[in-house]
Amino acid sequence: MLTALPVKVIFTTDEPDLALPETKQQLLVPADIKRYGLSRILNSSSMLDTSSPVPLDFLANGTFLRTTIEEHLASEGLSAETTLTLKYVRSLIPPVYEASFEHDDWVGDVDVFGNRAASASYDGLVRVWNPSGTAIAVSSSGRNGGHSARLDAVKWLSGKQLVSGGLDRKLVVWDYSEADDGFSGSLKPSMELWGHEKAINNIAVNGATGRILSASSDGRVGLWTSSKRTAPQADPESLPAAHSNKKAKLAASATTAQRGPLAMISAHDEPVTAAVFHPHDSTVAYTASKDHTVKTIDLTTQREVSRLTTMHPIMSAAALPNSLVAAGSSARHITLLDPRESATTTSAMTLRGHVNMVTSIAASPDNEYSLVSGSHDSTCRVWDLRSARTGSADEGGGRVSEPVYTIGREWLKNKKLPTAGEGAKVLSVAWDSTWGIVSGGEDKRVQVNRGRDILNS
Amino acid sequence: NIDPNSLLPKLPRPEELKPFPTLCQTIFKGHEGRVRTAAFSPDGEWIASGGDDGTVRVWSLNGHQEWSARLSPDESVNIVRWRPNKDAFILAAAAGEDLFLAVPPLVNDATEKASRDVLDAGFGHAAHNATTDGNNVIKKDTPAKWSRPGTKLEEKGVLLKLTVRSAIKMLSWHRRGDFICSVSPRGQRSSVAIHTVSKHLSQIPFRRLPGLAQAAHFHPSRPYFFVATQRVIRCYDLQRQELVKAIQPGARWISGFDVHPGGDNLIVGSYDRRLLWHDLDLSSRPFKTMRFHSQAIRAVKYHKSLPLFADASDDGSLQIFHGRIVSDLMESATIVPVKMLKGHKVTSNLGVMDVDWHPRHPWCLSAGADGTLRLWA
Ligand SMILES: [Mg+2]
Repeated sequence: MLTALPVKVIFTTDEPDLALPETKQQLLVPADIKRYGLSRILNSSSMLDTSSPVPLDFLANGTFLRTTIEEHLASEGLSAETTLTLKYVRSLIPPVYEASFEHDDWVGDVDVFGNRAASASYDGLVRVWNPSGTAIAVSSSGRNGGHSARLDAVKWLSGKQLVSGGLDRKLVVWDYSEADDGFSGSLKPSMELWGHEKAINNIAVNGATGRILSASSDGRVGLWTSSKRTAPQADPESLPAAHSNKKAKLAASATTAQRGPLAMISAHDEPVTAAVFHPHDSTVAYTASKDHTVKTIDLTTQREVSRLTTMHPIMSAAALPNSLVAAGSSARHITLLDPRESATTTSAMTLRGHVNMVTSIAASPDNEYSLVSGSHDSTCRVWDLRSARTGSADEGGGRVSEPVYTIGREWLKNKKLPTAGEGAKVLSVAWDSTWGIVSGGEDKRVQVNRGRDILNS
Repeated sequence: NIDPNSLLPKLPRPEELKPFPTLCQTIFKGHEGRVRTAAFSPDGEWIASGGDDGTVRVWSLNGHQEWSARLSPDESVNIVRWRPNKDAFILAAAAGEDLFLAVPPLVNDATEKASRDVLDAGFGHAAHNATTDGNNVIKKDTPAKWSRPGTKLEEKGVLLKLTVRSAIKMLSWHRRGDFICSVSPRGQRSSVAIHTVSKHLSQIPFRRLPGLAQAAHFHPSRPYFFVATQRVIRCYDLQRQELVKAIQPGARWISGFDVHPGGDNLIVGSYDRRLLWHDLDLSSRPFKTMRFHSQAIRAVKYHKSLPLFADASDDGSLQIFHGRIVSDLMESATIVPVKMLKGHKVTSNLGVMDVDWHPRHPWCLSAGADGTLRLWA
């Protein structure tokens, strides 16, 4: 058998602390070498001489090398004598399974703050978890100021306050306190926020200003304050007592303060599936809707600043630190939109790989180039925007990126992915530098996947 | 020599006709036994279903069941249909001879009150309709008895019941939501009834129907009413009380039909496996006959806003079509089969029993004899 000749490679990088001296940038490497081998060579004492291994990925013509160099050259129609330029970047580390937290019903949303996680479940309860999977606190029931229906959203406002919402159309702001030993806590309803006419699908918070955004199936985006003192009075017509002939409802709400919105913005023609704050400007919101649009809204004037129209219903959205908005569609992909380019529909990139609706997106807490998405296909997928290829005609052209990691539900491990995400749809995902990737869904579990070193895993 | 195919108009390829549903995205499990019927709510946010277990259920689009009520201990729920207006949230469901009107407790208080008001409005009228003889027996000349369904169901939100003389197989609302017609194929003289919700009043529009009634629909914009018997669909003018036209699809046994939102075209499904498109302006014979299934077609449905239609068959599949109607009278509709959706298991020779479209998105919903509902996108 013939052994292929070595291939001449030129290494480049944009990461200044990982730059090679010019004399070491060219190297002959075996044609059958892959990413791991290349990463080991660059980490070696004769090359970068790193004190601890830095897992690297290699971009060949903009796309991560996932085959041998030989196969790559063949697939690109290049001769084996070509000098290949490989740009190396720090790898995203694989999100290794850590733990699952069991619930009584579907988990509609998860959020983390410090070393506490909060989950919102379809049983109507908010739970606060410690990292070892103990529910330290559970919210009160519908009869005692809590929610009377399923929950789709929960967010930490601070370490001491949360806000939740769902099918019963109200937001509840909770005061959270913990015993000194950290093993028990309490969630007390501080106030109910009324104003939506249909279910609340999504919540965003800005901790510094205490502002809350809510996205509702009524087509509107609510802007609220978490401060009971400054919150406006609720419109009596929006309160449950206004039309109710049920005395129970009156009694249930009597003890918790009821407040209204700072603004209720009629933003969309169809359910609003996501509302997020601009990452650097809390007076700007992005909203996404099943009406195919993503809008930029000036919260000060409550006016629409720009609107991006896509081809499909949008089911989820996240603002990325690089000013792009990632929009998850019902058509199984994620579109990266640039809201600064007003009135165009061009997307910066399309992320393809999910096989069902994309219902949740979170940006990486550590860098500008990665994000995670949760889908009804029962997976979370991690994307690295540094790698992209040209889309095929069927994909509508443009730049296309594919997932670098796919996180399944742990209990499904080694089993076939269920048709239509049956029993395992992911409804929510959060990404935090200490917790890692935290996701919840139809399997009644919060699943924690934490990054571990790529070379030691 | 001219190739005759070159004279035919070129049909666009399916890829050029996107979007249309291609994949099963949600499976709804919970029913015991066959799911016979499924429908999207007018706002597209909810799905209702009914089946052999005698229950009616309401689901979120993500597959989560939000509400259910057992309407009958022994009869199947054969059909569920939402009242088409967004001002209220009312679901009609039929089990055996009973037609129930429910307000599932999933809406805000104002909408719930508006919905209850719609259903309660007729109680004043009912008093002087005096439709029963006090023994809960329907008088011979009375098409239906309107009543409260009993505390247990009322607590669930099932607020009104009307009982006709024979098992209801089909329901269809008038666009304004005050009339609903029921079809009881074995009901003989009273097989088709039109019920006025605001008056709790039921009427039999035809004393004599030549054949067994299979389905009926109101015209989407004119005061016309379509009734299908086994072989013929008749269009009546309800105001003038006269027959407007009779359509003969050429099928041996019609299972159901649907009227295009524009009102000038029909699709008809048949137990003898045919799907027929009728242009009412053209002829009483079908404009196009399509055979895509190896077993009976049970249901057909047009999309309300996109150029799509679908059928559901006992072979376990749904055939999705693109169907574009041009306003030009000289030009006929463009009909292209774009996708066959497979996934339902055939169970005791029954496959897909009902199909509905999302009001705006290219998503369809199927009810299967395998006990599942499926959402395709
Ligand atoms: Mg015509």
